[in-house]
Amino acid sequence: MSSRKQLMKHYQLVGQLQPALHAPQHAPYPDTIDHALYRAYTRSAHDIGGEPDVPITWEEKEEEQWELNTFATCECLAWRGIWNAEERRRRQNVDLGQTQYLGLPYYGRWLMTAALIMVDKQYVTLTELVNKIDEVKKRYE
Amino acid sequence: MSKVQHDRTHHAKKATGKGDPQCFKGEAGPAKFKVGDRVRIRDLPDIFYTRCQVYTRGASATVSAVVYESPAAEDEAWDNTDKPEWFYSLVFRQKDLWPNYPDLFANDTLETELSERWLEKA
Repeated sequence: MSSRKQLMKHYQLVGQLQPALHAPQHAPYPDTIDHALYRAYTRSAHDIGGEPDVPITWEEKEEEQWELNTFATCECLAWRGIWNAEERRRRQNVDLGQTQYLGLPYYGRWLMTAALIMVDKQYVTLTELVNKIDEVKKRYE
Repeated sequence: MSKVQHDRTHHAKKATGKGDPQCFKGEAGPAKFKVGDRVRIRDLPDIFYTRCQVYTRGASATVSAVVYESPAAEDEAWDNTDKPEWFYSLVFRQKDLWPNYPDLFANDTLETELSERWLEKA
């Protein structure tokens, strides 16, 4: 359970995670969204080839156990017909939205997506999932 | 409560023993383009999902191979596999894609695959 103070800090961080269009942008009036801006907002978040960016540092890193487990889980979901590879990519690269696409680790996006498709296709309810996460979290308190 | 029933076995039934995309062979009809054709990439709306890179839109390319029949990514991403399309391997000149590409490397090319809906005769 997060403290109220932590929750208030969460609001501050979420505010900082807005896409970096440095202009007031909450609930804009329709006539402030021209065709260029509409296209920028509705593009697929993963189609980043050609965008200006700065160099990033390449670090050699072995996969962690949870990452391997996540990969195996997602492959099992495909094996059992829950999704195909293209649906998985659509969900983990685009449906999450730009902020999560850029902000979460690679296998973090796989894991979020594996959980969401189980809810979307009604194999578990969000209630069951949330209660389970809450139960597991308590083991570490 | 209404619960959606998903058919989880149709893809396995179709692909077992053949593979994917081989299991879609013969379902796309005649290919519209052939090796050596010049094509231009269409700038279709890219809402919700696409695998067609924005940097290829409006650029011209040469068909280097007619590769296979498969549902387009934009359909398969929702498990719609009823209308497979021909896929083409396309070669672009890097200079046609990037405005500031150096003349020193004028022969550089980029090769990528797109489905037929994205192509028109150049």
